[in-house]
Amino acid sequence: MELFTPDFGLVFWMFIAFIILFLILAKWGWPVILKSIDERADKIDKGVEYAKEAKAQLDSARADAQKYIEEAQTKQAEMLRDAAKMKSQIIESAKQEAADEAKKVMDAAKVSIEQSRKEAELQFRNEVSRFSLEIAEKMVRNQLKTDEAQQNLVDKMLDEIEKN
Amino acid sequence: MNTRHFSILLLLITAFLLPSYAKASGSGDEGLNVKEVMFHHLGDGYGWEVPFSHVYRIPLPVIVRAEDGSWHCFSSSRLSEIERVVDADGKEKTEAVPKIVSITKNGKEYQFVLAHHSKHSNKVVQIFPLTTESDKKAFLDAEAAVAASDAGQDAIVDGYVEFDGTYYKEYKPLDISITKNVFALLIASVVVTLLVLGLARYYAKHTDKTPRKGMGFVELLVDFLYSGTIKSALGDKTKKFAPYLLTCFFFIFVMNVLGLVVIFPGGANLTGNIAVTLVLAVIAFFMINIHGSKHYWKDIFWPDVPLWLKFPIPIMQFIEIFSMFTKPAALCVRLFANMMGGHMIVITLILLIFIFTAFGAVATGATVVVSILFTLFMLALDILVSFIQAYVFTLLTTIFISMSTEDPHAKHEENVEHLSIEKGTAATE
Repeated sequence: MELFTPDFGLVFWMFIAFIILFLILAKWGWPVILKSIDERADKIDKGVEYAKEAKAQLDSARADAQKYIEEAQTKQAEMLRDAAKMKSQIIESAKQEAADEAKKVMDAAKVSIEQSRKEAELQFRNEVSRFSLEIAEKMVRNQLKTDEAQQNLVDKMLDEIEKN
Repeated sequence: MNTRHFSILLLLITAFLLPSYAKASGSGDEGLNVKEVMFHHLGDGYGWEVPFSHVYRIPLPVIVRAEDGSWHCFSSSRLSEIERVVDADGKEKTEAVPKIVSITKNGKEYQFVLAHHSKHSNKVVQIFPLTTESDKKAFLDAEAAVAASDAGQDAIVDGYVEFDGTYYKEYKPLDISITKNVFALLIASVVVTLLVLGLARYYAKHTDKTPRKGMGFVELLVDFLYSGTIKSALGDKTKKFAPYLLTCFFFIFVMNVLGLVVIFPGGANLTGNIAVTLVLAVIAFFMINIHGSKHYWKDIFWPDVPLWLKFPIPIMQFIEIFSMFTKPAALCVRLFANMMGGHMIVITLILLIFIFTAFGAVATGATVVVSILFTLFMLALDILVSFIQAYVFTLLTTIFISMSTEDPHAKHEENVEHLSIEKGTAATE
């Protein structure tokens, strides 16, 4: 039964050894180690949190960028549409203006043509009337060249007067 | 079949054949006292065995307080003398023969001897020769009384020690010798100190860097216990108890593992010694109870049970107080029994080889192989057990401390206070 009876010497030394060991380690050993472990754990936790935050930020930044890109794209499309519209408008108005101008020119031309036609007509009439008068004069002169003819005429006229 | 298999087979065959060769060439075996060998290995001793020698030992100091109160310190090598003796077969061999240590101090002679045939066997005792007639007569009376009883002729006579055929009156001195176990204890303490201070120094030098290799293992254990067990069980009281619990774990673990090392710096069956686990348990007892909360003590002396269970006959109080002591006692016995059991199984397996020599060479050969394989397995298992037992001891102590220091009322009161403050602010608003 020697195994089951604690030996005083061993109890004594064990007690002393444990107390001294505990005092030494509690003073110079454990505080340093535990502080380091705690600090490192904190740091790791913080690091993980930081990484998470950074990821979230990155994600949101990406979303923002996507949003901006989309916005820009819609704006661009709008602008293109506007430009096209404006282009057609300008062309349209230009066409209109050109047509108006052309019409004006045409009208003026028409007016002047009419005028010149009228003038020509007038001139032509005068000319024709002058020519016809000349012709008639010549014809009359021709017919009345002889005295006989002049007499006949006078006779005829007198006849007519007489008849009346 | 590849070379590896072949070499293993060859090794096994050699192992089977070797003992028969040894048996053929060696001399006849002496009687083997299994119990003595076992207890010798499990128990304590003055001086430390040197590997492969039963004679030479590393001397250690013996410190004893004699009957008259004087202290004496001498080397354990003086307790025996190495002599060449001739044994029964006429073969000469060296043997450690016990002898009497005589010390003369202040003109007085003190005699000590390592007791064998005595109540205090394997302990150093102070002896007094039976000089006067009355002494001799008293001894003869005592011897006659013992011989007449059931114990028989060779029984131990209480208060007397037999040495070299002569009886002496013995006195068991107060013994604080640096025995094998005490020395192993000091080695374990030094190892723990080096490990922990080494790790602390590493941390002081390198901030935010995890140690690698050996120190990494120590850190792994510290982190496993500290973050995994102590912190989660104790919460805000971690700072107060963590140093004790970690010291406790490392001390037990190192002692366990050193106990498994067969030669010099280890080999002492420390945690398988009830004295060591007893001290650990007593310290745990104090750690658990000194910081006990009001709630804990109230639960012991006035638990929440029907009145007739606690008054007028304090049944519950008795049970609770009993459980206060059984908790550390269980810690003590668990560690002791586990570690001693492991050592005992290993020793038994090895002893089987010597027991089976009686049945011839083949039986011995087979036993050698089987025993060695089983021993290896047991030792591997013991390494696991070393860790588990150290961990269980620490874990249970942690849980007991957390149970005794927990204060559910404190939280409640805090809440109430908080509520009343809130009410107050609400009223002022």
